[in-house]
Formats: sequence, structure tokens, C-alpha cells
Amino acid sequence: MNIYARRRAANAVVTTLSVAATAFGVLWLVLVLWTLLENGIAAITPALFSQMTPPPGSAGGLLNAIFGSIVMTLIGTVIGTPTGILAGTFLAEYSRGNHFGEVVRFINDILLSAPSIIVGLFVYELMVVPMGHFSAWAGAVALSIIVIPVVVRTTEDMLSLVPNTLREAAAALGTPKWKVIVMVSYRAAIQGMVTGVMLAVARIAGETAPLLFTALNNQFWSTNLNAPMANLPVVIFQFAMSPYADWQVLAWGGALLITITVLFLNIGARALASWSTFKQ
Amino acid sequence: MEHFQAMSPAAARRAMPISSLGLPGTEAQPASRQKVLIRDVDFYYGGFKALKNVTLPLHDKRVTAFIGPSGCGKSTLLRVLNRIYELYPGQRATGEVLVDGQNILSPGLDLNLLRARIGMVFQKPTPFPMSIYDNIAFGIRLYERLPRHELDDRIESALRRAALWDEVKDKLPQSGLGLSGGQQQRLCIARAVAVRPEILLLDEPASALDPISTQRIEELIAELKADYCIAIVTHNMQQAARSSDYTAFMYLGELIEFDETERIFTHPKQKHTEDYITGRFG
Amino acid sequence: MAAETAVIQRVAAGSGRAGTIGDALFRWLTFLFALLVLLILGGVIVALVDGALPAFRAFGFPFVFSEIWNPVTQKFGALAPIYGTLVTSAIAMLVGIPVAFGVAVFITEICPLWLKRPLATMIELLAAIPSIIYGIWGLFVFAPFVQQYIQPAIIDTFGQIPGIGALFAGPPLGIGVLTAGFILAVMVLPFISSIMRDVFETVPAMLKESAYGLGATRGEVVRSIVLPYTRIGVVGGIMLGLGRALGETMAVTFVIGNAHNISASILQPGTTISASLANEFTEAFGDLYRSSLIALGLILFIITFIVLAIAKLMLLRLQKQAGASA
Repeated sequence: MNIYARRRAANAVVTTLSVAATAFGVLWLVLVLWTLLENGIAAITPALFSQMTPPPGSAGGLLNAIFGSIVMTLIGTVIGTPTGILAGTFLAEYSRGNHFGEVVRFINDILLSAPSIIVGLFVYELMVVPMGHFSAWAGAVALSIIVIPVVVRTTEDMLSLVPNTLREAAAALGTPKWKVIVMVSYRAAIQGMVTGVMLAVARIAGETAPLLFTALNNQFWSTNLNAPMANLPVVIFQFAMSPYADWQVLAWGGALLITITVLFLNIGARALASWSTFKQ
Repeated sequence: MEHFQAMSPAAARRAMPISSLGLPGTEAQPASRQKVLIRDVDFYYGGFKALKNVTLPLHDKRVTAFIGPSGCGKSTLLRVLNRIYELYPGQRATGEVLVDGQNILSPGLDLNLLRARIGMVFQKPTPFPMSIYDNIAFGIRLYERLPRHELDDRIESALRRAALWDEVKDKLPQSGLGLSGGQQQRLCIARAVAVRPEILLLDEPASALDPISTQRIEELIAELKADYCIAIVTHNMQQAARSSDYTAFMYLGELIEFDETERIFTHPKQKHTEDYITGRFG
Repeated sequence: MAAETAVIQRVAAGSGRAGTIGDALFRWLTFLFALLVLLILGGVIVALVDGALPAFRAFGFPFVFSEIWNPVTQKFGALAPIYGTLVTSAIAMLVGIPVAFGVAVFITEICPLWLKRPLATMIELLAAIPSIIYGIWGLFVFAPFVQQYIQPAIIDTFGQIPGIGALFAGPPLGIGVLTAGFILAVMVLPFISSIMRDVFETVPAMLKESAYGLGATRGEVVRSIVLPYTRIGVVGGIMLGLGRALGETMAVTFVIGNAHNISASILQPGTTISASLANEFTEAFGDLYRSSLIALGLILFIITFIVLAIAKLMLLRLQKQAGASA
């Protein structure tokens, strides 16, 4: 085989392998989503949303778990978002090249990718042990610790994209710096920041590990934030690993709910991001 | 004829009424006095000296144009006048800039108050991401508490001064970002005059715009000068010759020549100036 | 004229003061929350060390190398979980990196323009799917599949080779180290692929065009131009993926089998640090048991911290390089 034919063969191999790899990746996505749908759809009944988690052997729903997840996700977002925005604002607006800012950025990125079970352990030592019991508050705090680095990152990135001329134009009118940030920079970056929050929510919506040692679980309906609270991920964990068929069906149903929420938020965030760039 | 305000004798000596010169175009103008005196100003970007010993006056109710090749320091000088460079560490100015006798480069000065007195329009239009109404109201709301109808009037008069009112009067709640480039720049001008500054700094305001918008901006400047002391940086010499009363030619951070526009363009005193004006370089 | 002086007087009346106070307050506020980020990490370290201390005091450093895990006698060792963590992550990297690379190459070099966006989104959705979904899917769908088809095939082929065969010994159970590693691969490949893609996109088009212009094939351009240029970023992305794989909990917990033993065969069940924690922590009795688990968490934290720090430093280097040549 002459050189050219050999090169063409090599290129064909590379191309084929790349296509195969991509097909492989897409295949798994389709497979997971398909089996999720197949197994979970059976559980999507009105009962799912109106009844509590049952003891093994009886019918039931996931209402308390859904409620608990929503409540803890909400509180976690409410705690984590302003924290993340303010910290991200510091990085973008007040730390031009100084060492403290670089250290914070570095640490933030570590926290961003740290195992979420470690966060659960931390909040266990921080809140559960002193309080003497598990609680939804602890769960929410654990979730907020996962939200914070995500929001810090997107806030910093989005604020950095705001052109300096806009800041100068506001400053030239005699605007104090904090007003320039709050009334001009935030407004200019708002779409990106909202996208960041949506992605953070999507992330914590499915997190199990941080809730395992903080909110634990609760068989019954509870609105007491100071006590263990049911939540979808831990319920799925418990039910799926069990030998009971009706529990397993509920687990699939819960998994389907989480996945739909997460995909919805993700695609929504992307749509928002591309719509804003399209507008400009 | 002249309006000498209560000033120190030194300041009175510095005021130069212009109306008696009999130059074309100056007969109908209100009398002028010196509003700003830039004296021995140096500017540093870190270790690099970008302005060297610049001294010149800016006259009230007149347009002073700054011309010169790229990098000569004309924009830098403009940015000294409202101390916008203070946003960036490592940039500093020495010397004096006297506005009505008061040195605005002195360290204790409140920069926000200063910038409320000196308006600036930038090269690229910079509408804020809010409605046209809020864009204009932004600066006003910073320092004044006006009832709604007074605010409406101020906004309307600012937009009229910027020759933008007719085009946007029905779309005040719409975003400023939806306007064309020329309209956005006029919006920025309206925003700057809405706070009633004493001095207007224009940094190549028309360079990013098409010729028709450029012409409208120039017409605007001719109207605005009746009320403000205007300093304009431009790389377009014809624009400087057309629209300004005084011209300063700068080169490599130094002021080469400063004179009435008519004289600089017909009888420049420095060879350098003449070379630049006749296009031998730059 | 009178109105204008009136404005100036109003301005001079002192609203500037409020501006400076507002500035100072806001600056302090943002600084405090930035400090909070540091404090969180500090808190994590303190909490882990504090919780792990009893275990280390009781067992000493040999804790890290001991395979014993006996809640009854309260004797624990970290070796089995550490081993499981490393092996599953290794499998994840072995399978995930080439696939991620292939995906990145396809999307940046081969894919037609209209397909780029939807395809990239689909791969990123793989990353968005929560870990527990992979877990439940792995347990009910993938593990049985592996048990029925994949594992017998492996045993019949690789298992027969002397020497390597030991890696694939044992009955086909479905669950086990291999299955867990494989699911991890599917989970980390979108991360690695997305970083590779971003990094590939930084290669200046002109550089690639000069190579194509000389008649180079796509594979050659990737091998000789794109990869050397983005080498640091690619490694950084891989390390980031590794960091993810090491810390992954739920997907692994479902399919690894939760057996505190080390065996040469990857077809056998095992355990990882995070799986041990997830399975045992809430039921752990006795201070030493709990402390040993937290010690496991500390070890995991140290490992991932090192890996993530290296990844971050490499990606920073690449940013500087890309910025310099931009």
C-alpha cells in the first residue's frame, strides 16, 4: 500500500471511531431515558401525587417526598443564590488581580467539583450533631453549599462579560460604584445569572448524597423543618434497593419525576442563554 | 457685553471675552470666559508617561476640539477632566485642572459629585439595559427627587435637545438597546445633558456612526454649545474645522499648538501642525 | 442660569456622602461572602479531621493499609474502599477517555454545522442526569444485562488467558467493580468531552487551515496540530473527570455490591469510599465505626482535592497560553 492510501485508511479509521464514540454516547442517553420512561410511566398515577410513601406491601404515592424535595431545594436555593451572587460580585468587581481573589476562585472551583457526600458529612458534623437530630434545615444547608460555587462561578463569568464602557458610562454620570454594579451591571448580566441559578437548581434537584446524613428520610407527611423530612432521592434509594415490587415501581416513578424536572431546567437554561445572545 | 461673575482678580484676568474678534461665526455667540484651565498636567499609565506638561484653557459656551494621530493622548486628556481614569488602578494624573478656579485633581474631592457636573459621551454608544425613559432618568434620579411630572418634563427636554424626542416619544418604555446606532448615541447625549452638567466631554462621539448620523450629531453639538463648555476629541479633521471654535493639536502626549480653529487651519504656527493638517502624516 | 446653579447647589448638598457609605458597605458585604467560600472549605477540612481523629488515634496510620472491616469487633481499615475507589475510577478513565475524545473530535472536526448544537446538548444532558438515576438504571437494567451477556463473554474469552484470567475470575454476578466502573465511564465522559471540546475550539482556525491546506487528513490535523496545542487542557479535563469519578456516590452504590474485600477480579463485588459512606453511615453504631467512616471521607477529600488542584492548575496554564497567543 502506498503512503497516501495508508494515510487515507488511517483517517477513515479515526473518523469511524469518532462516529462510533459519539453514537455510543448518544446511545446511552437514549437507553437510560427510554428505560426510565418505560419503567416509570407505570407509576405516574394521580395516587403518586396524593398519597404518602407507604410501608412495604401497600399502595401509596410520593407526596411527602415530593413536598420535602421541593421545600429543601427551594430553601437551599434561597440561601445559596444571594450568597453566591455576592461572592461572585466580589470576584468580578473588587478583586482585579489581587491574591485574595485568586485564592477564592481556586477554592470555589474545588468546592464546585468536590464529592457531594463530603458536603453531607460536613453538614452532619456542623448541624446534625450539635442539634442532636436530623432535620430538613440541615438538608437545605447541605444543598445550599452545593449551589453556592455554581452561582459564584456563573455570576463572576457573566459580570466579567459586561463591557467596561457600560460601567464607565454609568460612572461618568456620577453613579457610586455600588449602584453601578447593582443597577447597571446586574441588569446587563441578569440573563446569564438566571441561567446559572437554573443550572444550580437542576443540580441539587437530583442530589442524594448530601441528604443522606442530613435530612435523612421520613415515612410520613411532615412540614416540620426541624425534623427529618422525606425527599425523593433518598426515598428512591431506599425503595429501589429493597426487594419489594411496589416500592420499586414507586422508585422508578420518582426517578422519572426527577429526570423530567432536571432535563426541563437544563434545556430551559440553555434556551434562555441562546435567546439572550440572539437578542443582542 | 461680558458677564464677569464675582471672581478673584486673577480669575478675572484669565477670562477672555471673545465676541470682539470679528471672526466669522462668532458675532452672534454669547460672550465667553475661561471655564477650565488645564495646567502642567502629566498622566501615567503605570510607568508610561502618556501626557507631558499639557497646559491649555477650555472656554465656556464654546467647542474646543482635540486633534492628533492615534495615541497622541487626546482621549487620555479628556478622561482626566472627569477623572474617569480613577476606575483603574495604576493610572494617575499630576498637575492641576481648574474648573471655575477649583482644582478638580485634588485628592479629597468627591468624584461622583464632580462627574455629575461634567458629562461624558463615549465613542461607542452605551445605552443602559433599561427603557429609554429610565436611561435618561437614571442620572437625574441619582441626585434629585423630582415628582413624576417634573421628571417627565426633564426627560422630554433632554430628548428634544438631543433631537431624539420625535423619534422615541411613543416608545419611551421600550429598551434603549432597540434603537439604531445613531439613535443610541443621541440617547447617550440626552442622558448626559439631562443632569444639567456644566461641561460636556465628547470622545469621538460620531466615529462609530454612519455619515448621516454623524451629520446630525454635529448639528446637535452646534446647538448644545450655547449652554455648555464642550470639549470634543475627534480624528476627523474636517469635523474639527467645521464644528469647533478652538482646536488643540496633540502629538505623542504633548500639546503642540492651541489656537482658534480658524487660525490653526489657515495659519498654523508650528510646522508639525501644518504637516498633520495637510496630511503629511497621521 | 438660576435653575442651573440651583441644581449644582442641590448636588453639592451632600448626597455624595451616601454614595461613599453605600460603596464601603457593599464592598464589605461582597468581601464577607467571598470569605465565606473560604470558610466553607476550611470548615469541611476541620469537620473531617475532627471526626476522623478517633479512628486514626485508635488504629494509627496502618488504618490506610488494613483490609479488615469488622463492625462487631470495631476494627476497621480503609484499604478495601480505597482500592475500590481507585479501580472503578481507573476503569471509568480507561473507557471514558477514548470515547470522550472521539466525541470531542467528532463534534469539533467532523460533524456538520447543523448537527453540532443538538449533539453537544445531548452529550451534556448525559451529565445532567442525576447520579441516582444511573444507579437505579444500573441496578435494574444494566447489571442484569452485563450478567447475562457481557460477563459470560468476558469469562469465556479473557478469563481463559493464563495470568490475565485472574482479572476476570469468578461467577457472573452482574454487579461488581466492572459494572460500576463502566457506569462511571458513561457519567464522566460528558465532562471530559465538554472540556476537550472547549479546549479544541481554542486552536486558531488559521493553524488548522494551514495544515488542511497542505493536504493533511483530519486525523493528522488532530494528531499533529490540535492535540499538541491543547495538550495541557486535555490533561486538565481528564483530571477533572477523574475528580468526578472518584467522588461519585449513588451510581456506584447501587451496583458495586458493597463487599469490604479486595479481589484481583474486577468481576467481583467490592466497595468504594463513597459507597461505604452511603450504605453504612446512618446505621453505624459505636464511635469508632462512625469515626472510621469519616476518616474514609477525609481520605477521599484529600485525594479529590489533589486531583482537582492539579486539574485547575493545568487549565489555568492553558488559559494563559491561549490568552498570550490570542
